[in-house]
Amino acid sequence: MKKSFIIYLPFIIFALFSFSCTKERYIDEPGNLVSKTVVQDSTLPSILVNGALLHSEAFGSEDNTLIICIHGGPGGDYRYMLNCKTLATKGYRVVFYDQRGAGLSQRFPKRWYKSQGGDAINKIFYDELKGVIAHYKTSASQKVILLGQSWGAMLATGYTGKYPNEVNGLIVAEPGGLKWDDVVDYISESRSFKLWSESLNDATYIDQFMTGKEDQHEILDYKAGLIGSVNTIVGDVGSDLGNNAPSYVASRSGAVVNAASYELGQDFKPDFSAGINNFSTKTLFIYSSNNKAYPDSWAEKISSAYPNKEIFKAQGVGHSGMFDQVNFWTTTMEPKIISYIQSL
Amino acid sequence: MKAITLKSIIAIIAISFFQNEIYAQAVNWEKTSKQNKNLLHANIGAEYGITAGLGYHRLIPVKRFPLWIGGEFSMPLGNQLADDFKVKLGAQIRIAAYNYFQFSARVQGIARRYHNQSVTLFNFGSDFAGTLGYYRKHWFWGAEAGFDKAIVTHFKHSDWYKNNIYDNVQDGWYEPATGGDFYYGLQGGFCMKKTDFTLKAGRVLQQDFKSQPLLPFYGHLGVNFNF
Repeated sequence: MKKSFIIYLPFIIFALFSFSCTKERYIDEPGNLVSKTVVQDSTLPSILVNGALLHSEAFGSEDNTLIICIHGGPGGDYRYMLNCKTLATKGYRVVFYDQRGAGLSQRFPKRWYKSQGGDAINKIFYDELKGVIAHYKTSASQKVILLGQSWGAMLATGYTGKYPNEVNGLIVAEPGGLKWDDVVDYISESRSFKLWSESLNDATYIDQFMTGKEDQHEILDYKAGLIGSVNTIVGDVGSDLGNNAPSYVASRSGAVVNAASYELGQDFKPDFSAGINNFSTKTLFIYSSNNKAYPDSWAEKISSAYPNKEIFKAQGVGHSGMFDQVNFWTTTMEPKIISYIQSL
Repeated sequence: MKAITLKSIIAIIAISFFQNEIYAQAVNWEKTSKQNKNLLHANIGAEYGITAGLGYHRLIPVKRFPLWIGGEFSMPLGNQLADDFKVKLGAQIRIAAYNYFQFSARVQGIARRYHNQSVTLFNFGSDFAGTLGYYRKHWFWGAEAGFDKAIVTHFKHSDWYKNNIYDNVQDGWYEPATGGDFYYGLQGGFCMKKTDFTLKAGRVLQQDFKSQPLLPFYGHLGVNFNF
């Protein structure tokens, strides 16, 4: 009898594990693990651009010079850049938007991105940015400044190269690379997990707890957010927005647009520096002292694509720190950006 | 770059080619005897991370169907060793034998924990597997296939997550199943009097048969002590 009990004990335990809970809570239900998108929550500020409902808001007088803030990723969101909204009190119109499939903007299936083929960067990102500018621009003479960080800086550069006469100022903070090989090198350098590290373990161990199919955005976005929230290699320590933070906390990764973008990049090897040599206006090129993957030599190499530039090294912060650390923003970065714009 | 990148995935996949690990201990069914009813085993390798594990199984002779029951404990390496772990309890039984070919099945209940700065997960799951192998006294090889199901998972998010990522996140038990992976691979071993050295390696696929985990392979180098 005792032996039989021992034999069947594992099966009893398994049965208890399997059937002990009755209340159903789904990991892919909107709002459970990640915040809802503008499609799922109509109270969020949004604009319709190029066939996609984008999470977007703007601060400052409508007719002031536009500063378009372009977030990183692909698949990040604009929340960490919200310190920039203080520029609205300095006479500018500051615009934020989450790119298609990222942040709280509308999601699209992976096959939609892949179906754009060799023209994907144009159709997904450049056309969208053009639409955002058109949405907020109130007159033909209103000036437009692009302010991009990381992937956002690459996107801003590519857009400016394509439309050099439509951009009045360009601020780029640590574009990983502009030519595809440089992009790959930078990613490799900034994500070089050690085999025995907690970072690797945090990234891989969760896969046995949660699995998501190709377009299960809630699950994939949640997992991507857990992995990508802090990266000590690039010197990120988490955002400090101070009073610039909105009343709600809702930051969300876009895992599908991220994966699709890199696959498209591998397939078509885009060059984000194309045409930037035609942009004769001074570019403000920013990089940080705490990003180990962005040494002086890398900044020199990447910035060489801009024909007219001012290089600024942000001391004491990392990859996102020039924007997401409120003290640094207030004391250093905001005055620098205002000074740059006034010099144009 | 703020989000996980394809390059990092490629790097991790590349890493996995050089690291081997397993799901449960490989047993030489040809060596089972009434004198050696206890099996203590240790392994190191890769299973959703670089891991190390210890286990104990006891042989229960059930007529012509020898049954090993016992448990395993494993954890991934990292700066915080105790924050993630996995415990498996279950049984492995030989179902059929023909000459030196034998077929065995394994069923295990799993309890596992994951912790990072954002969340602590605790999961109950199951692992079913079958192994067809060729077993001699001093060596064996076999092929296995199985399914690891994350049946019900408890989520508890940190204040950091609520302050920085999402303040309305819902903590608590989540079901139906939050995950599931199929795996298949090869195993083999070299056996001495009281000690066996075993090697297992294979591939992991998510339950949709299309997606794969960040580490899409498993592998394990193990040592068994019979007494």
